[in-house]
Parts: sequence; C-alpha cells; structure tokens
Amino acid sequence: MEAQATTIQKTKWWGGGKSPFNVEYGKLMMWYFLMSDAFTFGAFLISYGTIRFSQNFWPDPNVVFNAFPGAGHANLPLAFVSLMTFILIISSVTMVLAVHAGHKNDKQGVIKWLAWTIAGGLAFLLCQTWEWHHLITGLHPVLSDGKIELIGQTTRANPWGELVSIEEARKALAASSHETLVHLAHEYPVSGATVTDPAALQKMTNAQLASMIDLTKAHVREKGPAAFGGYFFGITGFHGFHVFSGVVINIIMLIMAQKGVFERRGHYLMIEKAGLYWHFVDLVWVFVFLCFYLI
Amino acid sequence: MNTVHAETMSVAHDVHDHSRHGHHKESFLTKYIFSQDHKTIGKQFLITGMIWAIIGGLFSVLFRLQLGYPDETFPILETFFGKWAKGGRIQPEFYYALITIHGTVLVFFVLTAGLSGTFANILIPLQIGARDMASPFLNMLSYWFFFLASVVMLSSIFISTGPAATGWTMYPPLSALPLASEGSKLGADLWLISMALFIVSSLLGGLNYITTVLNMRTKGMSMTRLPLTVWAMFFTAVLGVLSFPVLLSGAILLLFDRNLGTSFYLDQIYINGVVLPNEGGSAILYQHLFWFLGHPEVYIILLPAMGMVSEILSVNSRKPIFGYTAMLGSMFAICVLAFLVWAHHMFVTGLNPFLGAIFVLLTLLIAIPSAVKVFNWLTTIWRGNIRFTPAMLFAIGFVSLFISGGLTGIFLGNSTIDIHLHDTMFVVAHFHIVMGVASMFGMFAGIYHWFPKMYGRYMNTTLAYIHFWVTLVGAYLIFWPMHYQGLAGMPRRYLDKSGWVSFSQFGELDKMITVVSIVVFAVQLMFVFNFFYSIFKGRKVTNPNPWGANTLEWTTPINPGHGNWPGEIPEVHRWPYDYGKDGRDFIPQTEPISPKESVTHKTEVKPA
Amino acid sequence: MQHPAFPEVTYQHHMDDKSFKKRIIRTTVILTIVTIIELGLGLLLYALNLPDDFRRMLIKGCIIILSLAKAFYIVSVFMHLGDEIRNMILTIVVPLLLFIWFIIAFIADGNSYKKLKNKYDPYFKETTMPKTNH
Repeated sequence: MEAQATTIQKTKWWGGGKSPFNVEYGKLMMWYFLMSDAFTFGAFLISYGTIRFSQNFWPDPNVVFNAFPGAGHANLPLAFVSLMTFILIISSVTMVLAVHAGHKNDKQGVIKWLAWTIAGGLAFLLCQTWEWHHLITGLHPVLSDGKIELIGQTTRANPWGELVSIEEARKALAASSHETLVHLAHEYPVSGATVTDPAALQKMTNAQLASMIDLTKAHVREKGPAAFGGYFFGITGFHGFHVFSGVVINIIMLIMAQKGVFERRGHYLMIEKAGLYWHFVDLVWVFVFLCFYLI
Repeated sequence: MNTVHAETMSVAHDVHDHSRHGHHKESFLTKYIFSQDHKTIGKQFLITGMIWAIIGGLFSVLFRLQLGYPDETFPILETFFGKWAKGGRIQPEFYYALITIHGTVLVFFVLTAGLSGTFANILIPLQIGARDMASPFLNMLSYWFFFLASVVMLSSIFISTGPAATGWTMYPPLSALPLASEGSKLGADLWLISMALFIVSSLLGGLNYITTVLNMRTKGMSMTRLPLTVWAMFFTAVLGVLSFPVLLSGAILLLFDRNLGTSFYLDQIYINGVVLPNEGGSAILYQHLFWFLGHPEVYIILLPAMGMVSEILSVNSRKPIFGYTAMLGSMFAICVLAFLVWAHHMFVTGLNPFLGAIFVLLTLLIAIPSAVKVFNWLTTIWRGNIRFTPAMLFAIGFVSLFISGGLTGIFLGNSTIDIHLHDTMFVVAHFHIVMGVASMFGMFAGIYHWFPKMYGRYMNTTLAYIHFWVTLVGAYLIFWPMHYQGLAGMPRRYLDKSGWVSFSQFGELDKMITVVSIVVFAVQLMFVFNFFYSIFKGRKVTNPNPWGANTLEWTTPINPGHGNWPGEIPEVHRWPYDYGKDGRDFIPQTEPISPKESVTHKTEVKPA
Repeated sequence: MQHPAFPEVTYQHHMDDKSFKKRIIRTTVILTIVTIIELGLGLLLYALNLPDDFRRMLIKGCIIILSLAKAFYIVSVFMHLGDEIRNMILTIVVPLLLFIWFIIAFIADGNSYKKLKNKYDPYFKETTMPKTNH
C-alpha cells in the first residue's frame, strides 16, 4: 500500500495528457450528470419543504401511509414503504455485485446480478403502483361545508386534515348524502351491527344509517393542504420515472452483456456507469423516504 | 498497480489519435448537418444564435416604436401582423408577447446558447489541445436539442393565441392560468416545453465542456496553463450544470399547475368571476426557483465574454494578462457568489427583511471580484503596445460597459434603494448594459478575433469599425437616459406611459431612444452581412497565426480538419501569456522554456 | 466519431473477492439497521404524539442525520466514490455544499410567508391553524 501511495504522489495528475482523476470521461460525465440531477431532485424536495413550512398544518405521514396490501383496515404505519425501501437497498446490493463481476470480466456473474437488479426495480415499481392506486381510489370521510364527503388522495384534494370531533361529525352526518352514509355504514359499522351488506344498506333511511356508523373508527377529518398530493405524486412520480429508466438501462445492459458486446470490448465499463445511475436512484429514495414518510 | 495505470495513461492521447478523420470521406449530411466536429457544432450554434438575435432585436425595435411613438399609427404593422397591430397600433397582448420573447430569446438562445455554445465548442478543444470534445456524439445532440427548442419557440410565435406573453420570467399566477390572458394559453406551454428542451441541450453541452477540460488537456497543459477563455467556459459550464436543473424543476411544477390542476404556485385565485379550487401554493416559490437559476444565468452569459475579453486584451496589447491567478480567483468567487444571491431579484415580493439583509450583503460582495477583474483588464492594457483591431475595440467596449452597468448594480443590490427602483426603467438600463450589451460586445470581440480560425478569412475591417462605433455610442444613447427615467419612477413593461404627467418630460427622450435603437439594429444587420459575406468573399488568411498569439488554436492549419492537428498534438511548455518577454514579441505555448529565460509566471519552472 | 476506449479504463479499487464481499455485507447490514432505527423513530413520533416543540425537532433531527449517514454509505461504498482520487471526491462533494444556503433560504422564506399570512390573512389563519385539542 505504501509504495502505491508514493507513486500516486509522484504522478503529475494535473500536468495534462491524462485524466487528473484516473477516470474515463464517460464515468466522469455520469458523475457530473448525477450531481446536476441531484439539483433537480433537490429543487423539488426543497420546494416541498418551502410549501410545508408555509402551512400551519401538515398531514402526519404515519396516518397517510398506514396500509398494506391485503391487510384491510389494519393500521400499519410505514410498513409498506419499509418494504419498498428494503427492496431498493437490496437491488442496489445486487447492482454492486454486477459491477464487481464486470471488473472480473465474469460474464455469467454480470448477467445473473443484473437480472436480480432488474427484478428488484420492477418489484419496486409494482409496489409504487399499488401505493398510488390505493391512495387515489381509497375514499376517506372528510367534513366539508357542514356535511361529510368521501374523497381520495389526489393532486387536487387531500383528505388528511385535522381530526374532527365526534360531536361535530355526528352533526354533519345528518346533512350527508345517502351514498356517503351507506359507504360509511358498510366500512365502519358499530360493533354488533347485523347488516353490513351494501345492497341491504341501500334500502335503509338516512337516520337509520347514521345510527349504524361507528364514528370513532371512521376518523372524520377536515380537508388537508392540497399541495401535499401534488408534491407526493410529483416527486415520487419523478423518482419512479428514474427507477423506470434505470430498469430500461439495465435491461439494455443485460442484453448487451448477453450478446457479448462487453466481452469483445474487453471491459464492462458501461455496467459501472449504469450502476452509478442505479445507486443514485437508491440515494434519492433515501431522501424521498426521509421527507415524505419519516418527518 | 497504479504505476502501470499511470504509464498506460500517459499515452492516452497518442492512442487517441484522430488525425485519420481528415481523410475518410464525409457526406454533406455528416459534415455540415449532423456533424460531430466541435468546430462545425460551434458554427451551428453561432448561426442559429444570430438568427435568434435578429428576431429578438427586431422585436425590440417593434416595441420601441410603441414606447417612442405611443400616439402614432403605423399602418404597415397591420399589413404584417394583422390583428396584433390593429389600426397600425401595437396591441397590448402583442406588446407583452414582444417583450417576453425578446427577453427569452436574447437571454437564453442568443447569449447562452449562441455565446457559450459557440465559443466553448470552438475554443475548448483547440485551446487545450484535444482532437474533439470528450463525447462528440452528445455534443451533437446538445446542438440538436437546442435546435428543437428553437423550433418549438419559433412555432409558438405563429399560433393563433400568440407566444407566451407573461414576461421572460414567466411568473405565476399569470403564467399558470390559461384563463388569465391570450399569452398564458398554448404559448406558455410551448415556452415551458421549449425551455425544458433547452435545458437538456445546455446540460449535454455543459457536461461535455467540463469533462473535456478536465480529461482531455494535452501533455503539459496543466490547469494553470489554460488560457482564461477556457477557464471562463469551464466555470460557465459548472454554473449551468448546477443551476439549470433547478429551473427545470420549477418549469415542471409550472406545467403541472397549468395542466394537472395541482397547486404548487396557486393560492386563493379569483378570475373571470370564478373562484379557483387551487389552494395552498406560493407564487413566491416560483420566483425563488426561477432566480436560483436566473442569477447564475447572468454569469453564464457574462463569464464567456469575460474570458474572451481577457484573452483578446492581452493578445492585442502585446502584454501578459495582469494577475492571471487573481483572474481565476475572481471567476471562482463570482461562481460561488452567483449561487448565493438570487433573492436580490425579489426584495419587494414580501421576502423576509432579515433574509433580505443577508442577500444584500452577499450581493454587494460580488463587487469585489468584479472590481478585481476590471482593474486587471485596465492594468493589462496599461502602457501596452495596443493594436486597435475590431476585436480589441469591442473588448475595450466590453470593459467600459461592464463598469458603467456594474456600478448601477450597487444601487439595485441595496434592498432599501431597490424599493424605489425595482421594476423601473433603471433596472432595464442596468441589466441591458452590464449583461446584455456587454456580453454582446464580448461575443462580437470573439467573432472578429476567431473568425480567421473559423473560416480561414478575415471580416471586413471598415464595416467592423463602423459597427463598433455606432453600436458603442448607440448603446450608451439608448440605455443611459433610461436611468433618469427609472429614477423618476417610470415603470418598465408598461404599454403606454404618456398618460402620466410626471413622465411627459420624457416624451422626446423616448423618441430619441427609439430612433437610435433603429439605427443600432440596422448596423447589426450590416454586421450580419459582413459575417456572411466574409465567409465566402473575405480576405484570405495566409499566416496561420494572424494575431501573433500564443495559444494552441493558432498552431493548427488555417483550415483545420476534423481532428484539428494533422500530425501529433503539440505539447505545451508554458502559460499562454508570454508577450513582450525578454525582448520577444510573443512566445507560443509550444516552445520549451530555455534556461536563459527570465521567470514571469510562477507556474513556469526552468529546466534544471 | 467513435472514441476508442480510453486506456485509463477504471481504477481497480478492489481487494480480493473475500474482503470485497465482507465489505458489501457489512454496508448492507448497516443500511438495514439504520433504516430500522429511522422507522422506529418515525413510529415513536406517531406514538408519543408530541406537540411541535424541541423534543419533536430533536427526533426529526436524529432521523435526518441517520439519513445523511445512509447517503454517505451508498455514495462512498456502493458508488465507490470513497475509492476515487481525493480531488475527484472534492469536485463532487464541494458543489453539494450549495445546498446548505439553498435549503436555509428557501425554508426560512417559506416560514416567513406563513407568518405573514397568519398576520394579514384571517381566513387563512382560521381555516388552517390547528385547534388546541391536540
């Protein structure tokens, strides 16, 4: 090691005629591209922070992100997003291994680990699709103009405002539409309710329905800040787009490796550059996870 | 292990020999259209930029007509522009479209793409001793993205609702609400799309310039032996790579607000009798994002001009540049400060006054590196053996304009004075002199100086002298009086100011400004004629080094092919500013240092 | 024009297979554990339901620091930036320092905007200010 250290010192890195960083231009370019992309993401996240700081109230992520596929109404805050985070970390690890295999000119290793990385990326995208779908289509009772409405989390509306007191919600039930009451009586029945079937509920009167709703379970809220949805879908969407393009790049790399393009070239530098991009996607997720889910 | 690598790398550039490229056949398409030769790409940027400059300049003449003669009609305008100039009068919508496109085009398409796109492409590889850019392919893409951006912007001028008419800064809510005005409809979407394409172009270019300067320097070309032009282009690229992405984010959010119903910038809007559902956004946020790019953008425009001016002043004074290291330091300081001062464009938006005070302090700090540069330029030409070539005249003009315009920046940088001066003609005068005209002067200087390298011919000198004197005098006549208008409170961007008694005193002055601007515009057309005429009919260059300059681009053949040097790339032995040293007029960078030489630059070590 | 491959192909910053594997496993474990701690702190915020005071800020501060640590491991080990020449590391890390003022100024102005609105826009204050029944 010591001998190597002295050679590095003796080499005139900046004297021209060679790369001062001992790095091929494409890799350097990728690094600086990622730096500039970090400013794109940074600008998005900082905008989100600015808007959040300009609001008196902001939804608690633990309340917003508490669903898990197949778990129904169970309150599992952050469980699903932890799974997504873990998938991304693991796919980053497999990418490291693919790059390492590339250094050893181990074609089979590159193909194997790239395939796993692609699988991880696709799994992440699948999870994100489910999460978006759940947020957009899931209806939540919201107090608006003295009555209860059911809205989902979209770019225009946010159902995660402040909790409304039970008395207030009870008053609002009287003014709410039949459809809303049927939905609430179906989703949040009082304990010991005999009828929960929507078809049967349809036939009941508003007053009957109102008495069958357990408001302690329904968690009626006010409307929250609309910008929440815009930023959430905007930024996770932009990140998802990066994951998607990363997957496409990795698939191209896989095909090229399979066809022996890199083998003929004598090096797997392209894998290294694709790897940098993939790790960057993981890196961005660390901050998206931080800003949207944790704090 | 590393030793082995170091050895293999020292031959990197020999292996990397492209001299063969001069020989193999190129079709018209690959030579002139989809060329990957950095010199051709540079020329493509220049000519596209010139076309945009003519359009942008013409637009300014049109709205100057309105400002100078608000009560008169020009029937010919109706012939050309139809409903936009009904009855021969420029309509308000048209007026706003004109100033918006004038600003956008001149700032982004001419002074960013046309200036750094041109000269970074042409000069970086030639001056550092490289065959081409690090990635010629991405370099070509960079031009074609710019071309696409241009096509989108140009097409927006011809749609029925007209181009964006929300000011070149595109502030929401006006720009976010298609309901708000004609110019906020499709034109605004096209503006944003065009800008996104432009950002991609500038990123591809910038990444290439940075890696090329770092990785591709010829043997002996250490960073402290780089000509200041290359340093300037390098810093410009760094600024662009770090700041344009932020505008991209801002533009994407604006597109979402316009088309997807989000509320990033919108809050409590009442328009055409309708209350919009958008809530919770902040229009100030857009201004922050815009100016986080917008301020570095000022230096993206200025630095290339500064770099070229440094080089041209030194060459034509036959003296070394004064304070090479100080020049580097001040450029670096400007780069860093460029990112810290954006909110001085927003003092009156309701920005927190305490925060504003910090921005004032940081803003005024820019005066230091700027002054360092100015004094270095002045001391460079001090007692020099000056040759007043057209390039030299424009370089001196640049220094003059930079001083005049820079001084008014001190007024505007103070938040208290800015309360009175913001959004007045004073601001217009300030930034046109210091950034607009000054950078145009840098660009003209560069074109006149490197034209022999680009086309192997000289431009006509007589026309060039007329061009210079009319433009210099004209620029001062146009913009100097605007300071007085601004101090009197005359707002910018207003269609017609003749209704105010307090501005009636400026009526004749405005007429004068308009007349001068028409003359100056005509002289620019003369320059364009000179440019194209000289490409084909100009006096041929016979001496490969016509200006007696030290830098590497003059060691290439008069008309270098793709690959620049027919043989091996020359090795560099000294810094580029050995003029008038030891009784010699100039010593090219390729000449080894002899033991008898005196030491003028600290990076030069005599051979033992 | 196709560039021939540079001879400076890549910096061979690898030890033997075994120590490389060890390093990757160690980093993976660190990342996983840090993520779990972050989650724990996030859930703690939920469970304690603290008012907006310094304790809340303290926990959030811890989470931010942990995230930065994660970012450090990803960049330095997975992206191999830690193995590059120091000057290259600097050219990438130093520009990121711009984020400091970027973040402070934006957030500070956002916060100041909120105060302005609370002062001059009673409708905003009334509709968005959390009630005290926390």
